[in-house]
Amino acid sequence: MKLGVFVNQYTKTNSTLDRIKTDNLGIILVQNGVYHAALKENGKDSDILSKAAKVYALSEDVISRGLSPDKLDKKVTVVDYNGLVDVIFNDYEKFIWL
Amino acid sequence: MGKLAIGCFSSLVGSMSLDFAIKLSEAAIKKGHQVDIWLSGNATMLSKKGQRKFQDYSSLEAKTKDLISQGLNVTACEACAESRGYHKEDTLEGFNRKSMDYYLASCFNSDRVIHIGGE
Repeated sequence: MKLGVFVNQYTKTNSTLDRIKTDNLGIILVQNGVYHAALKENGKDSDILSKAAKVYALSEDVISRGLSPDKLDKKVTVVDYNGLVDVIFNDYEKFIWL
Repeated sequence: MGKLAIGCFSSLVGSMSLDFAIKLSEAAIKKGHQVDIWLSGNATMLSKKGQRKFQDYSSLEAKTKDLISQGLNVTACEACAESRGYHKEDTLEGFNRKSMDYYLASCFNSDRVIHIGGE
């Protein structure tokens, strides 16, 4: 299943996300979730970036938090709302909001 | 083009998730998709008359009304509204008010469903 997971919080661990098994996983970082794409803890990236998933970050939420889209981890694809609509309709079938 | 159903439980003003739902709807409508928004829990307050706009506070009423004129379908949960003491006559024009089974039907005939939890 092509599953898109919205993450809107910046928490160290996410047990639900850790237990998800699907063949095509997309993680969509919005609101405070975008910090996963930028911050390091003790020099270590967020666990989200090491998952077997395509990772997206919503540009408006990145910029409004003073982060610059071009300085995010290279694994992260930055999309605006237009791009997010295409991701939703073209790349994944089911969505959950964590 | 397709149809997107968004269920939103998040608080009006108290959380940015309702803002997210409205902005996503705007982008989807601009691309020619159809969008249903279902307001539950504290999100039902988006459809209540008498909201006031304050500087530095999110205010979604005008934007939502504009999107409704462009085809957005916004429905508030009747039970959630009544339990919060706000009745049919308090509902903004253009906003629907229905029971939960309407949301299920909306989800079942949509291509994509996003259910945004409450906070």
